[in-house]
Formats: sequence, C-alpha cells, structure tokens
Amino acid sequence: MVKLLKYMFLNINSIVLFMRLCLLSGALAAPASHAQWPYEVPFVPSPQVVVDEMLRLANVTKDDFVMDLGSGDGRILITAAHKFGARGTGVDLDESLIAQSEENARAANVTERVQFLRQDLFKTDFSKASVITMYLLPGVNMRLRPSLLALKPGTRIVAHDFDLGDWQPDVKVTIRKNVMLWIVPAKIQGRWRLQLPLPAGAQTWDMDIRQKHQEIDGVVRVADRPPAGLWQASLRGDRVSFVLVDNTDRENEANMYFEGVVRDGVMEGEFRRGVGNVQTRHKWRATRTGTAP
Amino acid sequence: MRVRCFAPIVRLAMALFAAASASAASLDVPTPYIPSTRGNVDEMLRLANVTPQDVVFDLGSGDGRIVIAAAHDYGARGIGIELDAALVRESTENARRAGVGERVEFRHSDIFAADLRAATVVTMYLLTSLVNKLEPKLLAELRPGTRIVAHDYGFAEWQPDRKVQISKSYLLYIVPAKVAGAWRLEAPITKGREFVLDLQQRYQEVRGGVRVQGGFLPAFEARVSGERVRFVLVEDDVSYRFEGDVRGDGMEGVVRYGSGPQLMEQRWRAQRAAAAASLP
Repeated sequence: MVKLLKYMFLNINSIVLFMRLCLLSGALAAPASHAQWPYEVPFVPSPQVVVDEMLRLANVTKDDFVMDLGSGDGRILITAAHKFGARGTGVDLDESLIAQSEENARAANVTERVQFLRQDLFKTDFSKASVITMYLLPGVNMRLRPSLLALKPGTRIVAHDFDLGDWQPDVKVTIRKNVMLWIVPAKIQGRWRLQLPLPAGAQTWDMDIRQKHQEIDGVVRVADRPPAGLWQASLRGDRVSFVLVDNTDRENEANMYFEGVVRDGVMEGEFRRGVGNVQTRHKWRATRTGTAP
Repeated sequence: MRVRCFAPIVRLAMALFAAASASAASLDVPTPYIPSTRGNVDEMLRLANVTPQDVVFDLGSGDGRIVIAAAHDYGARGIGIELDAALVRESTENARRAGVGERVEFRHSDIFAADLRAATVVTMYLLTSLVNKLEPKLLAELRPGTRIVAHDYGFAEWQPDRKVQISKSYLLYIVPAKVAGAWRLEAPITKGREFVLDLQQRYQEVRGGVRVQGGFLPAFEARVSGERVRFVLVEDDVSYRFEGDVRGDGMEGVVRYGSGPQLMEQRWRAQRAAAAASLP
C-alpha cells in the first residue's frame, strides 16, 4: 500500500515536471485570455515574466523567507534571491533538477541565500516560510491546502494557473498567465466579548463570527435588541475590519468603522465614529470566549 | 434636519413604491420621497470621498439633507434638483438653519432638464427605471472622473467601481474617459517600430492590445478609472506597466519596466489615430 502511494506520488510529480518542461519550451505559451482577438501572437514571452509577477504580487523583500514547492530548475527561488534579495529553500523530488538548481544558484551568485532539498513536499515543514511559491497540479494543491491554511496568519502564497479550490485568492492578476495571491487568514471563528467606549457609556457586547477561509460574517448581540450584523466584514492575514451601525439614538445615528489586529485570542485596534470629515477615534478590544457560535 | 413626521411619509412612500415597482418600466411614476437616514446620507458622501473642492449634485434632493450634509459635514458646495416646489422651499429653509445657505442651492426642476455639467459628485436615490433612463445623460454631461453614488438602485449594465453594504447598498460609479479606438503609442518598448494600441471599451472595462509589424501584443490588466488608464504589455520576457491620464485625443504617463523590484521608469504618450484605423 505504501509502495502504491509512493508510486502514484512519483507519477504526479513526473506530470508536474513534464508541464514545467512544456512551459520552458514555450509549448503551453497560449495567451491566457484575449483568445477572441483575431490576431496571431508572434511574441512568445518566456515564463520568467510570470516568475517576476509572482514575486511582485507577493511583495517579496529581503526580509522574506521563500519556500518554493516543486522548485524545478530553481528559477523562482534564484530570482527571489538575486533580484528581490530574499532567502529561501526549494523543495523538489528530482535529484537532477536539484543538482541543476544548485548549479544555477552558483551562476547567479546566490548560494549563500538559497538551498535546494530533495524531499517529499508532504513531508516538508514549511512553517518557517513567510512566502510560499508553487506551480503544481490542482490535486496536489488541494492536498497541501490544510498545511497551507495552518501557516502563520499573514503568510503569502503565490501560484499560477492552478488555484486552491474554494479558497478564493485575495488578488488575481492576468499577465501572460493567471497569477494568484492568497494571504493565510487568522482563525477567528467563534464567540468574542467586544468591549468599546460609546458616547452613552462603555459597552460590552457578545460578537459571534463565522469564517470560511478569509470570508467572514457575524453578529453582535445586545440584550433586549435584535442582533446587529457586521457589515463590510473583511479579514486579511491578521488584520480584521468591519462596520457596526450605532442606531441607539436615531437622530445621532452613526456608523462605527472598526479596524484591528488579531493575536492569540485577542483582537484590538481603533474604531472611527461619526459623520463627515471629523470622525472621532476610539480604542476597542475583543477577547475570545468560545469556539462555536 | 428632520422637519416632518417621518412615519406617515414612509408609509405613503412605501405604498407608492409598491405601485411603482410593479409597473416601473411602463408608467412614468415619479420617484416617491423616502428620506435617507443620517447614516445613509453620510455613507453616500463617504463612498464618494467628498472634499471641500467638490460640487455635489443631488438628483431628487427631497428636503435637502444630502446637499446640506455635504456642505455641513464635508465642506463641499452643493446643488439639489427637486421636482416638488414645496420641498425646494423647505430645503432652502433647512440649509439656512444649518448655516450652509451660502454654499448650497436648490433648483426647482425636472432632473432630465437640469444642467449637470458643473458636478464633480452626483448622488441619487431613485427608482431603477429612472436611474437607467438617466444613464445616457450622465455619461454625456459629466466629466471623466466624476463620482456617482447610487443608494440601493444602480444601473442595469454599468457595473459599480465599488459596492458597500452597510444596512443598505451603496454603489459607486466613476465616469470613465473615452479610450475606445486606435492610438499611436510612443514608449521605450516600441524601439522605433510603429505601435498601434487598439482598445475596446465597455464603461470602465477595457480590452485590446497593440498591433505591431503584423503581430499583436495583448494588453493585460487594462482598466480605466475616470481619467486614469492602465495596462500591461509583455515583450521579450519583460512586462511594461503603463499608467497615465487620458485628455481628449491624447494619453500620457509613466511606463515602468524591467525585472525585480527596482523598475526603470520612462514617460509614454499616445495620440488618437485616424478613425479609419480602428477595429470594426
């Protein structure tokens, strides 16, 4: 059984390798869209432009540690080190590609900052990464997804062509190919106790949040009143924002615009309240009190 | 700011509204008067990012609350257009009491007869049939970059540039410059060759590319937002990111190109080519 799984896995990887080789030779170089245009495409760009786009979309800097899953000839990591100043590790199963990557890294003079490991992706620990790059098959992406979602909130994942199923990318651009960015969301589903100072006096409300990947919604429960919805609720890495309508006093109705950071069961930040260009700013804080709404 | 008793108006308005929405397309029913709450009004002005430099036109200004809030809370100037003469008088009185009589004006007029060319922001809370009937007038009279904020009811075809939901729906539309057609492009990427930029446009959505020496470079990520235009061309493994402004028959701006985070930067411009050169 173990042997069979291993065999299947190697097979998937050889397909990935085949696709990579196709890409290198330009055989897959059809334009991603614009197919309806009645022109030939005589200028066939090489995927280096896509590599650049992935690293740019992830906003890679010298402070990043990039892990390239299925690193092939090493071009993504070498570009990240050479042009963006990052450090990183590439992981691939193919020994000859690892050797070639090391040779390419020497040629680009970045051996100090990158290393290539011949290793099974599913046995690789990538908790050290601040950026993950990958170009794998959909099935492999989906098998990796639980480990990716478990990474530190704020970790950026970039891929092209193949997505992560119903985990929607935070950003998608089409430049030669579809390039997608995901930001690992904090886990905030559950009940929180929201404390905030309102003009009418300090308030403590229960806030229930539902979450699917980075999509969130929720309600605030106040005694004797119908639950108030969280509007425009958004989660990006460890940054959360939402709007509550304070209509306790109809003549003085105002929206409250919350922004904050989530860390270790605490959300805190500032909210703006009031109308016009002179809003007041107040601190807010929420602490986790339960896991299921 | 509220002068009248609220509940009876809403009930009347709801009744009118029910009648109107049932047959909105065929009957010329006037839009019922449903005053927005203070929160609604503020969200519309916030979404339009109103500043003291703006002239806000409210189409169907009711008791004047949006125009008055734009002046009082955001320091803008404002013009309200309203068909009901009694509401126009009431608005003028409300503005005087709010201390913004100098900065706002209310015109007793049909919105289709009003001259909207001075607007930098247009707000409206009108029925769908009326919104769609207004679209050609807005696109013809408003300058590129003018922001239109609709409350609940937006255009049928024109997609909003932004949508916000806070109790209600607010839709922001930015009047796009006209970029459709053929443009002769001067930029470092051309290296002396003739580049003809062919663009097709549907509101703010743009697609197309460059014809050069019998070939074609698709324009990626092409968008127009007001007078701002941007697109990306790719040639020889390098992406060229164009950003610029459209002014009538010219466009100009900055193109960034190269690989890695430090991009080179140069000016580019484009001039509208003869109409015959454009695509069918």
